[in-house]
Amino acid sequence: MEMLEEILKLREEATASLNLLKTQEDAENFRLQYLSRKGSVAQLFERLKEVPKEEKPAIGKSLNELRNFLEAEFESAGQRIAAAKTADIGKIDLSIPGRKRYIGRKHPLTQTAEEIKRIFTGIGFGIADGPEIEDDYHNFEALNFPPDHPARDMQDTFFVKSDGGKYMLRTHTSGVQIRVMENNKPPVRVIMPGRVYRNEAISARSYCLFHQVEGLYVDKNVSLAELKGTISYFVKEFFNANAKLRFRPSFFPFTEPSAEVDVNCFLCAGKGCRICKYSGWLEIMGCGMVDPNVFKQVKYDENEVSGFAFGMGIDRLAILRYGIDDIRLFFENDLRFLNQF
Amino acid sequence: MKISRKWLQQLVDLTDISDEDIASRLTMLGIEVESFENPSGTYKGFVVGSVLEVEKHPNADKLSLCKVDIGGEVKSIVCGAPNVAAGQKVPVGLVGATVPHNQHDPDGKPFQLTKATIRGVESEGMICSANELGLGEDKSGIMVFGEDAVVGTPLAEFLGIDDTVFEISLTPNRGDCLSHAGIARELSSAFTRKLIPRRARLREEGGPVNESAKVEVVAEDLCPRYSARVIRGMRVGPSPKWLKDFVERIGMRSINNVVDATNYVMMELGQPLHAFDLKLIAGHKIVVRRPRKEEISFTTLDGKERNVSPEMLMICDKEKIVAIAGVMGGMNSEINHDTTDILIESANFTPSSIRKTSKELGLSTEASYRFERGVDPNLTIHALDRVSEIIVEASGGRLAPGIIDVAVGKFLQRRVELHVDQVNRLLGTRLASGEIKRILESIEIPCDKKSETVLICAVPTFRGDIERGVDLIEEVGRVHGYEKIADSFQTRLSFDPRFRALTQTDELRELLAGAGFNEIVTNSLQPSDLAGFHDSSFVTLSNPISEDMAAMRTSLLIGALQTVKLNMSYGLKNMKFFEIGRAYKVADEKQTVGNFIESERISITLSGTADPVSYDRKEVKFDIFDLKSEIERLLRYLNLDSWDFISYDTTKEYEQSLKLFVNGMELGLAGRVSNLALRKVSVEQEVYYAELDLSRLLAARKDARKFRALPRFPFASFDLSFIVHVETPAAKIMESLKSAAGNMFRDISVFDIYSGEGIPEGKKSIAFTVALGSEERTLNEGDIAGFIANAERKLGSEFSAELRKQKS
Repeated sequence: MEMLEEILKLREEATASLNLLKTQEDAENFRLQYLSRKGSVAQLFERLKEVPKEEKPAIGKSLNELRNFLEAEFESAGQRIAAAKTADIGKIDLSIPGRKRYIGRKHPLTQTAEEIKRIFTGIGFGIADGPEIEDDYHNFEALNFPPDHPARDMQDTFFVKSDGGKYMLRTHTSGVQIRVMENNKPPVRVIMPGRVYRNEAISARSYCLFHQVEGLYVDKNVSLAELKGTISYFVKEFFNANAKLRFRPSFFPFTEPSAEVDVNCFLCAGKGCRICKYSGWLEIMGCGMVDPNVFKQVKYDENEVSGFAFGMGIDRLAILRYGIDDIRLFFENDLRFLNQF
Repeated sequence: MKISRKWLQQLVDLTDISDEDIASRLTMLGIEVESFENPSGTYKGFVVGSVLEVEKHPNADKLSLCKVDIGGEVKSIVCGAPNVAAGQKVPVGLVGATVPHNQHDPDGKPFQLTKATIRGVESEGMICSANELGLGEDKSGIMVFGEDAVVGTPLAEFLGIDDTVFEISLTPNRGDCLSHAGIARELSSAFTRKLIPRRARLREEGGPVNESAKVEVVAEDLCPRYSARVIRGMRVGPSPKWLKDFVERIGMRSINNVVDATNYVMMELGQPLHAFDLKLIAGHKIVVRRPRKEEISFTTLDGKERNVSPEMLMICDKEKIVAIAGVMGGMNSEINHDTTDILIESANFTPSSIRKTSKELGLSTEASYRFERGVDPNLTIHALDRVSEIIVEASGGRLAPGIIDVAVGKFLQRRVELHVDQVNRLLGTRLASGEIKRILESIEIPCDKKSETVLICAVPTFRGDIERGVDLIEEVGRVHGYEKIADSFQTRLSFDPRFRALTQTDELRELLAGAGFNEIVTNSLQPSDLAGFHDSSFVTLSNPISEDMAAMRTSLLIGALQTVKLNMSYGLKNMKFFEIGRAYKVADEKQTVGNFIESERISITLSGTADPVSYDRKEVKFDIFDLKSEIERLLRYLNLDSWDFISYDTTKEYEQSLKLFVNGMELGLAGRVSNLALRKVSVEQEVYYAELDLSRLLAARKDARKFRALPRFPFASFDLSFIVHVETPAAKIMESLKSAAGNMFRDISVFDIYSGEGIPEGKKSIAFTVALGSEERTLNEGDIAGFIANAERKLGSEFSAELRKQKS
């Protein structure tokens, strides 16, 4: 059995010298010494002939294992040497930045709209939409804006050239309320986001179009208290849990009673600054209880159901959320702007 | 609208109530106070002084030493003004006061007065110029007041500006608040303070009014009431100081003692008034009527000639038009320096008529603004009395006895029923009937109990906006205070499945942003030539802001190109954009709204470098295959498994283009944007662009497929190469190979296209990697050989293709 001991010894010796290999030259010497045709391993194979027949299988197996082991170890040592060599002379500078890739982002208006939708769908509101080119009935008349009423001056309107009928670019998403109620029986609970237009001079504070989210909830016994609770939930979710808000009486033809919702200015903590026009409050939406005249138009029974509606500007909320100082930036799509969100 | 506190104080007791409290209570009542200002703060530390002595400064030629009496105390002041003299009454700033405007500073920054030593002499204040006080342009010398100025009077008080002015923004339903009296009413309710009654004290002289003038109302439908008084023997001149001060304080220009008085009473009570020179009224008769056929134009007070149309209401005399009712008076009957007798009109006109007229003329005045919003028809007489009192006093005229009053009938309080349970149902409150009655009576709406739960409310004529129970409920909520209504939040958590259409597009946005696209949002208004570039049946606006925004987009292309251009102008050249938005068109046939079609579109824009350059790679520009791969990413994401890109002709918009079809439905075009289109918006870089119909795309979407067991046997993947005619499309060959593989087909891609050496003229070599598989077993050599033989035969007959080589 002295052959087996020799094999074991050779294995230890070779393993030890493998760990010492540093250069290609060392490696070549190792190969010549152990793994070449006349190397130590080959010599042991030569001596296999002299081994008694009954021991041959065991010794042969050991020898094969030795050869495979050394060949594998030699190969990885070679790789180690090669890698060390390149690293040594600095061919790969790992400080080079990774390859740049395009990073895409959703538009800040989209991100804001999605946040609004997330909050309202979370409390059971569905989502609907409607046309941007509207008729007078849906944009004004059904919403209790009588013809020749000064309330129409609250919204500067773009009119569309048309051969028949009076059409306009919708000035608010409130017309979708009418379309939803015309086509669906109560109860309804839905928000209606979309693009709206105002015929106003373009400036840092106003643009010819913006985006709104309208909300509508009609059911038995919906009250102003419920409206307040719902809006408070939204404001605390959208801004923060400590946001203070107030409901201030106001006027919209399609709601009665009506209110403006103000949130305390988070930029100056209500002390008064340029953004809140030194009032400490920021106006964020209009709302109110659906006017019975609107229910009449859509054939809902005002004695059966009541409801609330609200409308807010997505652009305005985005401006407040991110502290943007010029509404036009939303529509210029400057990458240096878009990549900030 | 500007409201003066001192003026309010004549109408309601506001003792001990701060400006801040007035502003916040009004705001919370729905009368929004935008700001308030008391300019007297600016003049804190300034008084009227009297110059006692002036002598020359010992050390400076141009300076004087003055002794100035500031009311019981004499100050030594150094003054540099050339006009200072003993005996003058002057404005004096004392130590600690802030001079509003430094006339020696280029920016005119304010500065605070300190005890100063000027060239060795101590000065205890400053005598100021108009410029320094911000009261005028003059900086050549100090301001000198009249003899009657009382020494020691605070300057603000002397100037008559010791008052707080509130800037109020009113909603259109509150016409009743367009006056000091209206605001006073709200304050009386908010602070439970008594209103101060104001009766006019009148002395009538001479012959009765009926002898001097007559009024006939022909158009009763547009003029429910016309009241008038006559003043004789008056002199037109400047207004007394108190009147001028009040009128100017609320932002109006002082004209003369007649015009100022009518404006004053309008701002006090809300009733617009107009004074005619009675001598210029033909036949001394007012006729209220629509214009005659031949009356087509009229020159208003502002000197402009206005077109008159048949439905406008006119105030006329026996012969001609003298005013446009409720909007503006005329040049031909205007008060002037020779006027001695006037007729004062105090009328009520139908709101919609005044609004139409004002809109049509493009002329909005304080009067028309109030009439549009509704004026109390029971106000005409009181307003006439008030204005007569002021004019008589200010002009020395004599008031003719009696009033001309032509009315269609009596104007009575409206009785409205209010159900207590309805109040509480809508507001979510538990107010008792007595509480509701108290609230309504605080805003002058008396209520009678019809029963325990029903009130009968008498709505005064100045609240024309209250017609129904719900309008009263708003009043109850408003006065009770929204802040006192407890929040309720019982919205049930069930989702309404009828309304969930829009969420699918959110998913696409997520996908594209993740794929490196920036989302853009562009204007849907654009110039007609750009809207018409894509489609000539575009929608146009009849009242655009400008020609640049006169039409609606028919495609998202222009917005995308403008975005590319803008970013290039900032030196950014590499872009991947997407937009989801609408395009608008006029259709031949009727649509949901008119004949307008709005279609949801999705656009993809690629321009610049496909992979941002890195140190070891060459720059590769975007090309059409990048565009195709982005579209295919979308299609695959939506679980579509087949689609066709058909090469399409060069169009106005595209140089190279492909038309995308899914299930035989056209989704849109993709390609390289034409130079013509690029030139339209001055883009100097290649742009690849696709625009698809989003509704169709989403409709083609397949719902998530059913689970299919994962393949149990490995695929066999190998390369195949054919020599074909150069013009044979790769897609066709791939289709053939796919069909040759039958149900063994798993995947195919092109990995090489070559022509040149070794390939015959007019031919190309095209190489594919094909993957085959089976659900039952691992494919063997025979299966693959069988497929290759089959493919060779099929391609040979279809495209005269020749099999080139094969590797496994």
